[in-house]
Amino acid sequence: MVLFQGPATVGRLHEEIQSVRYKEATDTFCRLVTEEDRPLKSMIKEAIAAAAPYVQVPSHLMRLPTGEMRGVNYDHTILGWRGAISLMRELGDNRGVLPSVQAMWYVPQGLNVWEQVICEFPGHYARDGEQCNRKFPGPDEHVNRFDGPAWAPPKIYFEDHAPILGGSVDERLDRMSWAIAEGEKAEAYGLFLGLAQDPANRRRLKDAILFSGIIDLQDTIINRGGYQNIGHKALRARALVDIADYLGWDQSHELMYTVVPDLACSPHLHGLWSEIANICRMEIPDHANIPKRSAKPLTERELDILTEALVWGGPAEVNSTIMSFFKRGAGILDIGDGVMVAFQKYLIDVLEHPNAFLHPTHALDTMNVIMTWCRDFDNPHQVKGIFMGARFMNDTVRSNAMMPRDPASRLESRSKYRGWADGIALDRILPVLKEHLLAQDAPRSCALVDSYLDRTTERHTLLDTITYAACHWQNDPHVMRNCSSSLEEYRANRTSRKDDIIRGYAKHQARYIKRALTHDCFNLYAGHFKVEGHA
Amino acid sequence: MNTLDEIWRVRNAAATTLGLIEDQMERAVRAASVDDLVALIEGFSPARSSGTEWTRTFEPLVERLWTWCDDATMAALADVFRARGMPWMGVTNALSVPNGTTIRADIRHPAGARLPAFTLI
Repeated sequence: MVLFQGPATVGRLHEEIQSVRYKEATDTFCRLVTEEDRPLKSMIKEAIAAAAPYVQVPSHLMRLPTGEMRGVNYDHTILGWRGAISLMRELGDNRGVLPSVQAMWYVPQGLNVWEQVICEFPGHYARDGEQCNRKFPGPDEHVNRFDGPAWAPPKIYFEDHAPILGGSVDERLDRMSWAIAEGEKAEAYGLFLGLAQDPANRRRLKDAILFSGIIDLQDTIINRGGYQNIGHKALRARALVDIADYLGWDQSHELMYTVVPDLACSPHLHGLWSEIANICRMEIPDHANIPKRSAKPLTERELDILTEALVWGGPAEVNSTIMSFFKRGAGILDIGDGVMVAFQKYLIDVLEHPNAFLHPTHALDTMNVIMTWCRDFDNPHQVKGIFMGARFMNDTVRSNAMMPRDPASRLESRSKYRGWADGIALDRILPVLKEHLLAQDAPRSCALVDSYLDRTTERHTLLDTITYAACHWQNDPHVMRNCSSSLEEYRANRTSRKDDIIRGYAKHQARYIKRALTHDCFNLYAGHFKVEGHA
Repeated sequence: MNTLDEIWRVRNAAATTLGLIEDQMERAVRAASVDDLVALIEGFSPARSSGTEWTRTFEPLVERLWTWCDDATMAALADVFRARGMPWMGVTNALSVPNGTTIRADIRHPAGARLPAFTLI
């Protein structure tokens, strides 16, 4: 499929992104790579640059005329790129380009979120979440004008700024962290730009920006409406670190413009951080010296206790359970690994409604940011990060449990199909799994995964199958982000139950609500990159 | 072995207590008006629930309603919540005939057991 004639140009790509012509922009992106031989990396940089001025919002809380507040969504364009870059290496060759094409498809739909939620700009939020076309239909009732193109240019809520230089590195890092927490966007951004100029500062800068993102997390989402961030500060910080490492820090100005000001955007939610800091100070005053790993990882019984607390307990039980593990000498990553596998029990056995996956998997992705921060950096606060992630996970479980279970979303048991799955030859099982993932048949997909895990020690191709199938779904950067988190955590996990991460991953990708049921983006990609499966 | 024996005795005492409470609940549900039952179910709204431990008992309650209430009462309850629209859709579905048919077909009364095999928690 070629959507326009004539050479693809970077200028055209910018114009199509900013005017919310997402199909055309994706076509141009593919043509720039396949026909004009432009490096994929530099096209990703261009797409980020085109979107950068238009992804900021004045606040993530909007005051309504009634005096009530509503939440304003966080930018997801950059999260798509982070997932895409991670999966590029995972899937390899031309298959590895698919996540980038999916990220590109989403970018024009994710601009100007503030205007989208009030139905003044087209895109994913206006078209799907807000259902703006019902409220403000255009002249043609068969055309959803909130699918694009834009009828006005997107707004810029935060202009680009110059770096702030001068002062010691320690002083500037301190000021930057303070400015982020206080909502001083310009100062935070300027200081970040200044510090990022010197390669010698970058490791400390990465640690500081991840720390700032991780500690800004709501204490609960139960009945809170928009007064939460569901981990988006941490997720953005991680996106910045990963994408800058991929593009090169000297090529990442627009990426920094995309991410850093928003880290300082209101609301600032440090209640949970204060609670966890307080209990750690009281109970484990030497927590800064707790090792990453110990000779005493969690026992099977302790994994069961942690699962019970995380999935069926309350916040105090989560605190107390994790605290008991630290006090008896377990390491930071020992417990973090335990939290990650314990949470899978919820994904595997409890979650049913496709909509109900959204918050729990944000918690899983946030825990992944915390775990990579703990693995890759040394910071005296990392013990607290484990509590933060576990509390977020538990809170999403409890939030979902506040809604009476709807029998209309009941899911058949995976065990019902185990005999069927066991009857499929091992060398045929992965193509069948792909079909059932694409059909969003969770019970059969999960039975196939159970059967495969029991019959072979092979894991790489299984993970590749789930990931590639997941990347067929368009309009949703959460998909690629969750792929990336699941793969990383599976590989890093040292518990005996790490295969549960694969079980939870497959269930999520076979059941989580899809924003579009067509595969137009995949088909566009398959046509340009000459891969199998072009429908 | 003494310990196992003691634990089994305690378990039996708890089951007997629970059985007596189930008897009381059955009598109370059978005597309740539709308005009384609506008021009980309204307590499962996220805005009114005392917490997840309470809300998680909704399904065990629905099993008992389908076992102890007549069809006219269940239809009246479903109508009340259906009229309240989307926020109560899950509750409406739980009170609707297809779910009731499934529950009534699935709940076993094991031979030798005094009560049907209701969900406990």
